[in-house]
Amino acid sequence: MELMPQALLDGIMLGAVYIIIAIAFSLVYGVMHVIDFAVGEWIMLGAFTGFHLTTWTRVDPFLLLPVVFILFAGLGYLIQPLLQRVISGHTGNPLLMGLVFTFGLSLMFRGLAQTLFGFYSHSIPSHFSTGSFFFQRGDFFLTVSTVRLAGLIYAGVITAALHYLLKYSDFGLGVRALAQHKEAAGLMGVNNKRTSASIYAVYTGTSAMTGVLIGTILSVSAKMGPEYTIFAFFVVVLAGMGYLAGVPAAALLLGIIQSVFLVYLDPGYTLLAVFALLYLILLVSPTGLFRKGV
Amino acid sequence: MNRTKVWATLAAIAMTVPGRAQEARSFYKVGVVTELSGDLATGGNVTKRGYDLWAQEVNATGGIVVGKKKYPVKLSYADAQSNPAQGAAAAERLITQEHVDFLLGPYSSGVTIAVGPVVEKYQVPMITGSAESPMIWLQKFKYTFGTIPPVNFTGAAAMRTLAALSPAPRTAVVFGSNDTFSKATATAFNSALEQLGIKVLKFNIVPEGQDLTPLLSAMKGMRPDIIAFGGHDEELIKLVKDLHQIDFTPKALLMHYGVTEPAFLEALKGDANQVFGGSVWTETTRTSSKVLWKDSPTYAAAAMKAFGVAADYTQGGCSAAGIAFQVALQKINAAPPLSDAKRVELAKALEAVDVESFYGRIKFATEGDYYHSNVGLSPLTVQIQNGVVKAVGPAKVAEAKALYPMTPWASR
Repeated sequence: MELMPQALLDGIMLGAVYIIIAIAFSLVYGVMHVIDFAVGEWIMLGAFTGFHLTTWTRVDPFLLLPVVFILFAGLGYLIQPLLQRVISGHTGNPLLMGLVFTFGLSLMFRGLAQTLFGFYSHSIPSHFSTGSFFFQRGDFFLTVSTVRLAGLIYAGVITAALHYLLKYSDFGLGVRALAQHKEAAGLMGVNNKRTSASIYAVYTGTSAMTGVLIGTILSVSAKMGPEYTIFAFFVVVLAGMGYLAGVPAAALLLGIIQSVFLVYLDPGYTLLAVFALLYLILLVSPTGLFRKGV
Repeated sequence: MNRTKVWATLAAIAMTVPGRAQEARSFYKVGVVTELSGDLATGGNVTKRGYDLWAQEVNATGGIVVGKKKYPVKLSYADAQSNPAQGAAAAERLITQEHVDFLLGPYSSGVTIAVGPVVEKYQVPMITGSAESPMIWLQKFKYTFGTIPPVNFTGAAAMRTLAALSPAPRTAVVFGSNDTFSKATATAFNSALEQLGIKVLKFNIVPEGQDLTPLLSAMKGMRPDIIAFGGHDEELIKLVKDLHQIDFTPKALLMHYGVTEPAFLEALKGDANQVFGGSVWTETTRTSSKVLWKDSPTYAAAAMKAFGVAADYTQGGCSAAGIAFQVALQKINAAPPLSDAKRVELAKALEAVDVESFYGRIKFATEGDYYHSNVGLSPLTVQIQNGVVKAVGPAKVAEAKALYPMTPWASR
């Protein structure tokens, strides 16, 4: 039992990583109804950008996060009209077309990354990477890694920022109106094209920043994308597709389950456990943990 | 049925039957199946460097000497995409459509095991310069060979080196990633530890790519003397980072493969120092050869010149695979293109190969658990010291004293 506090804490830290992977993905689905298969590749590209910027400027990657956000938000803003054209078409199934388009994007990004950046894995050094806090009382002990604590704080800030943006800003009001009824929102003066492009920009910028963080906590490689796409899907489906507020809870639950399995049970069954959990929850509640998904 | 339909049917049938037509040519067509993309692309590209370097060097001398003529080699690559089924399909395509003379094999054990039955079916010899899982050799494939001995041959040696250090390690934690090679590595470490009387506190096979922080935090509480891990490059980097993040330094950290890769050092910088690894070759291993490169430093210099990257033992193993074919072809006087009968003869000739190369002795076992794997080499224990991979065991070949126990992260 003395390992339980550490296992829970590590689960929360793991969950924080899943939050930052999934939150922007959930946003873009909830608003634009686009299942973006390229989420892992946006994270990967952000990680490589952070790695090269850090190497070039010798500035801590946490200080470079706004730069990465602006770069990738700009890129996302430029790419979104292409995506909009695909999902607004009158032939075929728009949802599937969007999925296929973003799948193609992910393949293209992955190939480009392997060609430009090579096959080696890298790590983004940070001043936060090397420290930890240690607490002990009797048989119970806790180690808190500073870089993972930074990840947890980042997850909280991003979640709060997106929540504020959507709930308390005029822009967010327009976004929610578009998500509810595109035509009616348009009649009320919400510019569909500009708003959708802005939301996609927020999504790509946020995902890229997430990549930088993952590069400091874990590693960076051209092949890392698909793993994070799967995690993003997993968390969003568990939370309820399109239900942004459910993402933190789903991510933390996933992290804690994994952590407990790793520590107390057989780590080989970790993935079985999380998929079994997802299966059971969807059997009972097909619209996700909080029954608020679409 | 009219005549047109008959001819069309016959043509269709003919196109589905693998043709083994022997076009005339004055070079060896060598098929290479390896992981050029996908999760194992890093390792796959290391094998490509090894095979390319062998081909370059052989062709620089004019080619393989058979009889009084020299025959250059041309490599024909097929991407296994880090997927066993794709690897098998790629091998089949190289054999049936490209009509290669023989094959140089994959990086990973999983793909090698998938390709084995294909080369067995078509009786085309293949040497893998990389794959190390004991599972491969237990299949007793007649046409598959390997220049690097399996991990159950090499893993025990690394543990013996650690066991002899002072203060003697008493406990260990072992885990491995859930893939063919890594599981075999972890199992080999576990068996060796048990035989040496070192208590294994925890042995786990973990999902590939899994974030191991919770497991490592739990291990921190156990304070094992040795942490031994079987995995691939990215996992090794993450493991060292995780250990630093939770501020736990075991007395010894042993990993197999990956630590000799330049990317490991580049990613971790100072944190890579003092990590132990298992190997069969380093750039300074004492060898002497009359074939292509005369010793390890000569090969290392050629590799650096060609690729700008230090050679590791997998790259060396791949170049050695080419040398094994070269020697066997010369022995049976087999000029290209090889007939089916010559390929069968080539496989037998490979069994008889016993040559000293820059890599060390190449001699394939012809029976037992290491069947067709190279048992001519001596396993080494290596350690990264100040950014350089040094052999630290066994004692008779050690280039440096092992740095033990590991310096705590905070003190580096």
